[in-house]
Amino acid sequence: MAIEREVILDFYTGNVLWIDMSTKSTRVEPLNMEWAERYIGGKGLLFRYMWEYVPPKVDPWAPENPVFLMSGPFAGTNVSTASRLVVGAKSPATNILNDSYVGGSFAPEMKFAGYDAIIVTGKADELTVVTIRDDVVEFRPGKRYAGLPTSEIESAMRNDFDKDCKTLSIGPAGETLLPWACLSTDQYHKAGRGGHGALFGSKNLKAIAVHGTGSVTVGDAPAFLADMKRIHDEFVLTDDNLWAHEEGTPVLVDLVNGAGALPTNNWSAGFFEGAKNINSESFQKIRLKKRACYQCAIACRNFHGTTFKGEEVRGEGPEYETIALLGANCGIGDIDALMKTNELCDELGMDTISTGAVIGLAMDMTEKGIADFGVRFGEVDAYAKLPTLIANKEGVGAELALGVRALCKKYNVPELSMEAKGMEMPGYDPRGSFGMSIAYSTSDRGGCHMRTYPVGDEILSGDMPNDTMDGKVERILDGNAANGFIGQNFSSIKFCGIWCDFWAVTPEQISQMLKHVWNKEFSEAEIMQMGERVWNLGRLFNLREGVEPDTLPKALYAESGAHTSGPSAGKSIGEAQFATSTQNYYSFRGWDENGVPSEAKLAELGVDVRL
Amino acid sequence: MPHVMILRKKCSGCHMCELACSAYHEGAYRPSVARLFSDCNPTTAEIKGRSCLQTGCSKCQEACTQDAIETREITVKPAGNFAGKEKIGEEVKGYVLVVNEEKCNNCGDCYDVCPYDVIKAHPDREKAFKCDLCDGDPQCIKFCQNPYVLAVDLKVDKMDKELAGA
Repeated sequence: MAIEREVILDFYTGNVLWIDMSTKSTRVEPLNMEWAERYIGGKGLLFRYMWEYVPPKVDPWAPENPVFLMSGPFAGTNVSTASRLVVGAKSPATNILNDSYVGGSFAPEMKFAGYDAIIVTGKADELTVVTIRDDVVEFRPGKRYAGLPTSEIESAMRNDFDKDCKTLSIGPAGETLLPWACLSTDQYHKAGRGGHGALFGSKNLKAIAVHGTGSVTVGDAPAFLADMKRIHDEFVLTDDNLWAHEEGTPVLVDLVNGAGALPTNNWSAGFFEGAKNINSESFQKIRLKKRACYQCAIACRNFHGTTFKGEEVRGEGPEYETIALLGANCGIGDIDALMKTNELCDELGMDTISTGAVIGLAMDMTEKGIADFGVRFGEVDAYAKLPTLIANKEGVGAELALGVRALCKKYNVPELSMEAKGMEMPGYDPRGSFGMSIAYSTSDRGGCHMRTYPVGDEILSGDMPNDTMDGKVERILDGNAANGFIGQNFSSIKFCGIWCDFWAVTPEQISQMLKHVWNKEFSEAEIMQMGERVWNLGRLFNLREGVEPDTLPKALYAESGAHTSGPSAGKSIGEAQFATSTQNYYSFRGWDENGVPSEAKLAELGVDVRL
Repeated sequence: MPHVMILRKKCSGCHMCELACSAYHEGAYRPSVARLFSDCNPTTAEIKGRSCLQTGCSKCQEACTQDAIETREITVKPAGNFAGKEKIGEEVKGYVLVVNEEKCNNCGDCYDVCPYDVIKAHPDREKAFKCDLCDGDPQCIKFCQNPYVLAVDLKVDKMDKELAGA
């Protein structure tokens, strides 16, 4: 439907900046407002742009594979948590779509500079830095920044370019094309998963630094301010959200461990004895400060300080997933060592989940005599050296840098390959939270906990038992708005906003905010349908690129894989049930038995592309 | 005399104050022309707040050769936030320094002397602009949404450089 243009242009800058690294040239194109109306921003708009501009079946490492930086309509306003940036691309780690979210201040700064999105294509002939000050975009030689850790490239950009700039950069791991190299901004904020850092590296792009002096308009600013004040007081600063401020994600350690779902010693157990030394209580003892992302009232970030081998370690995190994979999954219950490896991963620019997964695997293979990587479960000294070796591909790091799947293939131990579609799984073992099985297997980017969160129902609230699949598949689609736990459809619209997971926002509240953008009321059903539209678009993209079957490592669901100790001992979903649940999922989705969306479903949802 | 301060130990670095400030004064979100700043070093977590001390400083007024920076009476009633509940502070009467744009010729003398770099040339109007305490309802305090602390708060100095001698 037609919407008056002046209404549309509030909240959006209306511009997309295209950067071609090969020719060192740029162009600005108008944001496609038809797509913006249909897909809002963030995840949805990203998927639509990816559908259009990712060459079908492109090699992820090819210069033609673009990297998309997409903001949401509320970035750069007072809407709490909505400062997030989504980085999207066809992932070199999984060969399918990857949308990775990061807080901090990059997306708002991008909009103040005048761009809703930045799309990077091509490959520079040598390491390059791109600087953006409003409409002035420059390509600077990046050789002098080669090898700099993320904190130093950021401070170099503040010194050499603009003291107020915000930087999105890679560390050494991105330069060596580590498949799980991440992008960093505001030092501790990472677009962590799926190897976007490696894609920057493959384009010889060390960093994009941006400073904007423009504005984001919201129509009637005083009215908008007053309404956001009300929304914050009523819906953001509530007990449901403030756990994230009071404790932050380490609060999950004891809860998940207690359910037997904490990946331990390369997923060989679901309970970690040493968790008591890396739980929320332990981190509170070394907490120095609470910090926030740009425009966020919740301030969940924990700034910690300790010493490791006589050396000071200070920084944000680790968050729960890091504690699980880089801690418990490696048998590491030493908080100082974990702080150190977390810091190393931050500085080297590599995802902590995948790093923890591959180190856990290396320990397991060494213990089993399959290979000798010189490190065993719980061995702090050798463990703390590995992130640097992996990022630089030195010593044993050269092999570990293959990643979990390729390493298991090389040594012919597929049963140890704990990933889904090539993405190493995060910190919830489905044997202690059954719903996580279908959550991982059907995730649009491989093993990921951010699309739907059955852990919420099964462990945190206890609303549903954690050892049955009954009623789980419906929840995986729709979530549970009553207690704020997301399903795939709801996370899809939420990540269009782009609201953070830590605000348990409801469809009704989203409607209240979107009303300011589109000047109309959306019903709850319409909000959920927008999410479902985005999810189906993502599925079409993955089918186009040739996605693998929706499955999981057998140990996580087969009877033979049940744990032998801990709270989840003896429990398994069962092979037959897993197959049934997968088909139920397709059926609930309106997809055929191979997971292909039906024409009727796509038409109903208003998806505007077809395979 | 009343002025706004960013308390660096309490501040989480969310920049809500800058955003609200610019939206209120500029009619759009444009934090580069906010009237106060929370400078955060992302790596070290150090924060340096910058805001106008009003008549407790008055350096801009002293430097102005055009008498363009005027002392005006103001009544401030700060409304903050505490765990989602509005926290209304006591009403404070005092003075605030305001730019008279008709007299300001954008000469820059005040920009040079401001210790906090919070009086500057407006990018669109070629006039100085600064904090005016939002006519007594400071938006920065209202939108300081740290759950349990007000990191941006109203401070009242007993000493007043200008008026003490008056």
